[in-house]
Amino acid sequence: MFGFRIGKNVVPWLLFGVLLLLPAAHPGNNLMRLLFGTALWITCSVAWNLLGGFAGQVSFGFAVFYGLGAYTSALLINAGISPYLAFPVAALVAVLASFLVGLPTFRLRGPYFVIATIGVGEATRVIMNNLPITGGASGLRVIEPGPFRQLDHYYTAIIVMALAVALSAWIANSKFGLALRAIKQDQDAAADVGVNPYTSKLWVHAIAAALTAIAGGAYARYHAFIYPGDVFAFQTSITILLMPVIGGIGTVWGPVLGGVIFGIVEEELVVNFPNIHLLLYGSLLILIILFEPGGLLGLLRRLSRLVRSKPRREDPGSPDAEQVLWGSGGAQGH
Amino acid sequence: MTAVDYLSLVISALLLAGIYAAMAVGMTVIYGVMKIVNLAHAGFLMLGAYFAYEMYERFHIDPILGAVIALPAFFLFGMAVYWVLVRWLPKSDTPTLASLLLMFGFWQVLQNVAYLVWGNTAYSIFTPRSLASVHIGEISISKDKLIVFTAAVISLVLLQFIFNRSWFGRSMRSLIQNPYAAKIVGVDDQRTSMLSFGLGTAFAGFAGALLAMLYPFTPDFGPPFLLRSFVIIVLGGLESISGVALGALILALLETFSINIPLPWYWHGWNFSYLPASYQPAVSFVLLVVVLLVLPKGFAGLFEKKWRVA
Repeated sequence: MFGFRIGKNVVPWLLFGVLLLLPAAHPGNNLMRLLFGTALWITCSVAWNLLGGFAGQVSFGFAVFYGLGAYTSALLINAGISPYLAFPVAALVAVLASFLVGLPTFRLRGPYFVIATIGVGEATRVIMNNLPITGGASGLRVIEPGPFRQLDHYYTAIIVMALAVALSAWIANSKFGLALRAIKQDQDAAADVGVNPYTSKLWVHAIAAALTAIAGGAYARYHAFIYPGDVFAFQTSITILLMPVIGGIGTVWGPVLGGVIFGIVEEELVVNFPNIHLLLYGSLLILIILFEPGGLLGLLRRLSRLVRSKPRREDPGSPDAEQVLWGSGGAQGH
Repeated sequence: MTAVDYLSLVISALLLAGIYAAMAVGMTVIYGVMKIVNLAHAGFLMLGAYFAYEMYERFHIDPILGAVIALPAFFLFGMAVYWVLVRWLPKSDTPTLASLLLMFGFWQVLQNVAYLVWGNTAYSIFTPRSLASVHIGEISISKDKLIVFTAAVISLVLLQFIFNRSWFGRSMRSLIQNPYAAKIVGVDDQRTSMLSFGLGTAFAGFAGALLAMLYPFTPDFGPPFLLRSFVIIVLGGLESISGVALGALILALLETFSINIPLPWYWHGWNFSYLPASYQPAVSFVLLVVVLLVLPKGFAGLFEKKWRVA
């Protein structure tokens, strides 16, 4: 559609260029803030999708990495270290945390990983609420020397987002991505053809954790005040999980779409309907699972097929998403 | 601490274990039969608490009776949820992403509907009995806790009886042990799944109503109990009812004793001190990780053949 084949590579670059040049047009501070926040959400969304979408491992605990990133960066910035040095350290801390979760749980079949992620999330929040060095429940102020320059923040977020998307696109087409998909479809078969499911899951978990931590760090630096009930909240984990599912799980651009929609819609919804926005997301989640596993991206594809009204014989729909959500079809023998 | 203190700690841990077991058993039933990690369990627990509250406030029904009424009410509710949502999920031997997200979405819906209906202020059920206690020698036990414990134990015994003696229980057990073989010998898996989902939900509502007698609650009541239920069923090996009782006992003992016994902690040097009570929720998680590392099949795995009741 609309020269989609060419657009596939040009449109992202064009968008990236527009985002880079946008500050020259002097948009309002509010728009910059909105774009900053959306870029961070997209980063988290793409990161979650690496693990949840490509490798099929659902995590309800990404707030841990987000929060660890935020707190590590905050403490380092307060110690006078440049934020651009603090972010990689934050990523490293998150990677270690991801191993801590992954090492015991990825070895097991069944729901252990999912359960552990919820547990890690709750436990980390409880501990952070009580540790003296994090300031406990009363939070932590981030003091960065020098004036507040929104452009720095904006470019950090945009570049981190671009890196995340590029990484996701690269993984999707790489041998590693293929291995992840194989694990998602059938772990035994993947192991038979030489993929090590254990280490592959560990590494993709680590990559996702690192990206999420950098987003958390950028958030902490921008907001200048963080507290465990915010960055470590279960709500944050839920948000990070909802975006890729809404956008289209297991694809490169679905999570981006989900992040954009979330970043912008959330703003309006929270302001106007503070009570029902989660109700809407919950219902949307149910509807997506039952009717359109491909998320909004799948829905768009379906609509574009309808608009063209020219049934292409081999339109695959969103096989990836359906694969992720519904498992390997009839392979279970039921 | 004196011997009496220890004894009363053991007793309070035991009483806690009763309600924990009733809380977790619904999850085991649903996981065992359908391999669904029922995240909406937290929502059902929360609804059970409000159910007991409404019964008490509107109709002046004693909360313990309210909990008993919650059983059939939530049984029907659970079957309806199964009919509308859950039955469309694909069958699988391991939990699928679809089932996790569906139950999670439903939990969000339940929780936020509750926010709309009851708001975010904490409610509690206060009966004339709430502050009463029974004295045995130097030990005093809260009357409510005793009643809740008794109700929980009776319900578990009844469930075990259903499991072992009824046709429905037998078909559930067969589905847990081997779904393929069960279907070959003519077990109606759709119908059994629906009844099991209803049963699991009924126990969640029942346990929620019991919890409401002991703790204040908000629509966000579920998560800490959801996590504890997880830990308990993992300890119990995921699929066995007696395993749940054992897991509940271990968790309750650990939670009670961890904050009441001085332990050597590293805090400005090694010294013996109490674990701050605010860390208590983290205990269940630490236990979970230790069990996953050491005994991936849960404690029941140690007695595989003997304990595999379900």
